[in-house]
Amino acid sequence: MQHAVAIEDRIFQALADPTRRAIFESLTRGEAAVKDLTARFDISQPAVSQHLAALKEAGLVDGRKEGRCVYYRVEPQGLKPLVDWIAHYRAFWTDHVNRLEKLLEQMDQ
Amino acid sequence: MTAIDTTAPDQSEEISFEIDLRHPPERVWRALTDPSLLAEWLLPAMGLRLEPGSSFTLQAPPQPGWDGVVHCSMLEIEKQQKLSYRWVVAEIDTLVTFLLTPTAAGTRLSILQSGFKPDQKRNFGGARYGWRMMGGKLVDLLAKIS
Repeated sequence: MQHAVAIEDRIFQALADPTRRAIFESLTRGEAAVKDLTARFDISQPAVSQHLAALKEAGLVDGRKEGRCVYYRVEPQGLKPLVDWIAHYRAFWTDHVNRLEKLLEQMDQ
Repeated sequence: MTAIDTTAPDQSEEISFEIDLRHPPERVWRALTDPSLLAEWLLPAMGLRLEPGSSFTLQAPPQPGWDGVVHCSMLEIEKQQKLSYRWVVAEIDTLVTFLLTPTAAGTRLSILQSGFKPDQKRNFGGARYGWRMMGGKLVDLLAKIS
C-alpha cells in the first residue's frame, strides 16, 4: 500500500468509465486500430482517441503508428500495480500481526 | 468482455489471515480498539470511537504522493467478537474485518480485507474491476498475449 498509490489511482480512474473498460476489454482480444474501435463502439473517433489516451496514460495500453493508422494493444504489465497492491497489504498485515503478538505478550506481564 | 464480469468473485478479492493467539478475547479486543494500543501495533488512530458510522483516521508514514492518511469509518462493533471498518486510501476503498473466536488456548483472530462493495460510489466501478482482475484470469490472459 505504501508506494504506487498514484499509478493505482490512474488505473482505477481509467477503468472507472464503462466505455473505456469496454475498449480495454476489446483490446485484450487483440490489437486494433482506432477506426476498428470506432466501428465496434457507438462513439465518435475523437471520443475513442480520448479514451485510448486515458488508458495509455494509466499504462494500460500502448499504440504504434503504421502509415496513417495508430494500432493499439494492451500493455501486459499495465495491471501489475494492482497485483502489487494486494502484495503490499499482505506484507502490511503480516508485519503488523507480528507486532500485535508482541504487544499482547507485553500486556501479559 | 462480459465473461470477466460474470465470473464469480474469487478468493483473490480478499486477503485473509487467521492467527491463533494464546490470549483471551478480552485482551485481543483491547489491542484492537484502544488507540494507545493500536498505535503500538497497527497505526496511530485519531478520533476512534466505538460507534457505528463514526469516522476516524489512521496515520501511516507519509509517502511521495500520499499523505499517509487512511480514512476509516466504523461499521460493525460486537464487543470481543467482531470489529469492521471501512479503510480508504485514495481511490482504494476496502473493508477490514476482525473476528475473534474464543479457543481453548485463547483466541483465534481472523483478519479480512476486501474490496468495499456498496454501489453509487464514484470510481467504485474501477476499483471493483481492479479487484476482479486480481483474480488473475485477465492478468494471465495478458501475459499470454504479450
